[in-house]
Amino acid sequence: MEDLLGYLHVVVLPQVIDALIIGVALALVALGLTLIFGLLDVINLAHGDLYMLGGYAAFMLVGWGAGYWSALVLVPILVGAVGWALEELGIRPLLPRADRAIVTLLLTFGVSLVLRDIAQVVWGTETHAVAPAFTGIVSFAEVFVPTYRLFVFGIALIAIFATWWLVYRTRLGAVLRATAVDPSMVASFGIPIRWVYGLTFIYGCGLAGLAGVLLSPIYAVFPTMGHDFLVMAFAVVIVGGMGSIIGAVVAALLLAQVQGLASLWIPPVWAETLVYGVMLLVLVARPGGLFNRLGEA
Amino acid sequence: MLQPSIPPVEPRPSLNTAAKLNVGDRLLRALYPPRANAWQLRWLGFAMLVLAAIFPWLGGPFYTRLAIESFLFGATALSVDILLGYAGLLSLGQAAYFGLAAYISALMYLHVTQSFWLVLVAVVTAVAVFSLVLGAVAIRAKGVYFALITFGAAEILSKIAHNTRAIGGSDGLIGIPVPRITLLPGVTIDLQNNFVFYYAVLGVLVLIYIGTRRILDSGFGAVLRAIRDNSDRVPYLGYNSFWYKLLAYIMAAQVAAVGGLIYPLLRGFVAPHLFGFEVSTKAVVMSLVGGVGTLLGPLAGSVIVTFLESAVGSYTERHLLVLGVIFIVFVMFLPDGLIGLARRLSASRGKAAP
Amino acid sequence: MIKVRALNKAFGGLRAVRDLSFEALPRCVTSIIGPNGAGKSTAFNLIAGTLQPDSGTVELDGRDITGRAPFALARLGVARSFQITNLFFGLSTFENVRLACQSLERRSSYLVRLDRLARPQACARAILAEFGLQERANELVGNLSHGDQRRVEIAVCMALRPRLLMLDEPTQGMSPSETAEFDALIKSLTGRATILLIEHDVDLVMSLSDHVIVMHQGEKLFEGTPDRVRASPLVREAYLGVDHAAV
Repeated sequence: MEDLLGYLHVVVLPQVIDALIIGVALALVALGLTLIFGLLDVINLAHGDLYMLGGYAAFMLVGWGAGYWSALVLVPILVGAVGWALEELGIRPLLPRADRAIVTLLLTFGVSLVLRDIAQVVWGTETHAVAPAFTGIVSFAEVFVPTYRLFVFGIALIAIFATWWLVYRTRLGAVLRATAVDPSMVASFGIPIRWVYGLTFIYGCGLAGLAGVLLSPIYAVFPTMGHDFLVMAFAVVIVGGMGSIIGAVVAALLLAQVQGLASLWIPPVWAETLVYGVMLLVLVARPGGLFNRLGEA
Repeated sequence: MLQPSIPPVEPRPSLNTAAKLNVGDRLLRALYPPRANAWQLRWLGFAMLVLAAIFPWLGGPFYTRLAIESFLFGATALSVDILLGYAGLLSLGQAAYFGLAAYISALMYLHVTQSFWLVLVAVVTAVAVFSLVLGAVAIRAKGVYFALITFGAAEILSKIAHNTRAIGGSDGLIGIPVPRITLLPGVTIDLQNNFVFYYAVLGVLVLIYIGTRRILDSGFGAVLRAIRDNSDRVPYLGYNSFWYKLLAYIMAAQVAAVGGLIYPLLRGFVAPHLFGFEVSTKAVVMSLVGGVGTLLGPLAGSVIVTFLESAVGSYTERHLLVLGVIFIVFVMFLPDGLIGLARRLSASRGKAAP
Repeated sequence: MIKVRALNKAFGGLRAVRDLSFEALPRCVTSIIGPNGAGKSTAFNLIAGTLQPDSGTVELDGRDITGRAPFALARLGVARSFQITNLFFGLSTFENVRLACQSLERRSSYLVRLDRLARPQACARAILAEFGLQERANELVGNLSHGDQRRVEIAVCMALRPRLLMLDEPTQGMSPSETAEFDALIKSLTGRATILLIEHDVDLVMSLSDHVIVMHQGEKLFEGTPDRVRASPLVREAYLGVDHAAV
């Protein structure tokens, strides 16, 4: 009994805390994906690469001496701007098409390839480290957590809550939810739909950028970081239900725990496979995911 | 109350006006080709075949082997077209079958047998089982989920291959022996000879193309086209679209596996990237470049893309960049591919002449 | 023929259909009318398998078909049309009808080459001739006029040789002259199948139906022959009184 408690305390608990922190960061990436899908029916396969750009932007800004704090503010704006360009130049022209779901998927796939290769050209294939804003370790009840990870947890939580507040408690959010259900109706009220779409895209991509800055000191920065993250993010969005905000958060926390705990006992690759297996099982039981789509709840 | 997925699309804009078409109209045309002028396609196919038949005498051994590689990827591109052009399903994970077949055949040649036919049976069985299970889940989840699930499956397989020491890990498997294939008693195919290898693969590809075309020119193919056109309406005619999509998926998996079955014999090695998104991506790019829904287009596309990549490869390492740019250009501006472009050109010339 | 018992369906808090029971007699035209939001379309979708009821049963010729999938219902002889034209817009008129005919064939014949699959072709040609669509045979359905599309929709339904034909506002978006033409078309179908009709055009309903069910706020308000419906003060108040004071 004593042993078990000790094991739980020393081995399992730190892993749970770690997975919790990864979970909220994952939720940030997944939130952007799910918002964009819920509103525009667009699956942004370049989303992971925007997260990667966020990481590199932080690396550059910090390297130029701009400081971590300015990077934290500037990077989401920069990545949001890239997302805006993608929406304006690539996705908007495709939206009137009958199969916009498939063509935009293809387009963002192409964009993803280009961004990843550009990153390799500009920054090389090696891994770059980003210095965290502060070092140090917090301990409570003999569990040690790096201060920076707690900070990531806090910021991500704030961003998640802010997103929820924006979507469910503001006028802008009401417009957004109505647009998700019936764009033509909203347009008939004289609300410029293209701005609603544009802003959602910027915001969603900005969240990916934020996740990029936050995680870069923990995982370092490399060209395929977004790609590696993407499969996980999609598993989250699929399990949570495409287009559901609460679903994305719940599923992110859940799957991060599954992966974190599983990798205590099985090799990490199989932990990832397990996550994918959980996703398939959820789909067998509930083909639409656990939660309803934006505006349907 | 019902899923408000895509806002109702107005009745489709008229498809046969020659007036200025916007990109959306062209995509509609691509996905709903005007009564395919069968004879045009037939001539194109014939021309391609003649070109392919004389090619080994024109190109040296390097290009002959490159052409073989393009045929193998061509089968994978064809499998994308079976799904996208007929059943309206976008698979971003056809590499799963290419890689699965490649690894199974490599492992069997290394450890089990030198008989091509035994390997063939094993590959067909494994691919059938895997595609049945994955397809059943992915198709039930429908819509865009299908693309993501297939994508994820290939990624996971690639990661497993990458991290499993027993099957070579990130190095893959090398030194795969080239077997002698007994076609009939007394007739063997000697794959050491480039010419023989080339014509054998060409023959296989032609057989696959004809077989696929024949299967899809049936009542089964007609139901698939209906599913692509309007999958919501199909059940009200008494068809359970699940089975049609699943059969199409299993068939496409087998076609994609053909490339993987032969690949280790051509290159002598297999590696985790054969499962990876680059192979899946290439397959989709190839069918986009050639023209989705034509079956012939993806084969032309595979030759074009493979040779283009090789040409670009002598200047730069940036394969992905090139693929990505081709991807974007074709999605945005040439959604009906080169065959569609040729059709439009010949149509406008036909209009201008009289 | 078709028997609906105590059908219920709620969307969130909204009870779209409440305890709906009725019976449609063989070879008769039974119509469901009611103001917007009365639950007609929901009831229709529940019977056609598009939606699953929360409770209640639907019987077809004594067989329980509650909640069966649309493809299974189609094979049992239930054909439906849609309020918003729902066809294979990228396929020809002929192919639309041929696909319906093909579904009556044995599945084992589906690997035969299309041009040798003779029976569905003959069937499609006959149906097209019957509905006066021969000249449109090779045109894409997406290029047809609205009236012709509505006609194809009925042709596709009839190609399925239905026992129960369910028409969801077949004259939706038609001009008065087209509506009159359609009136005659639907009349010609009576006797070939049991018809269940939802229609906005009250005059059309009254002239076609043998039996009329009036729905209001999810419930059955009244049922009877067209004459009795016309005479009912209840109906007049709840429905005709609002929308059609002049009737």
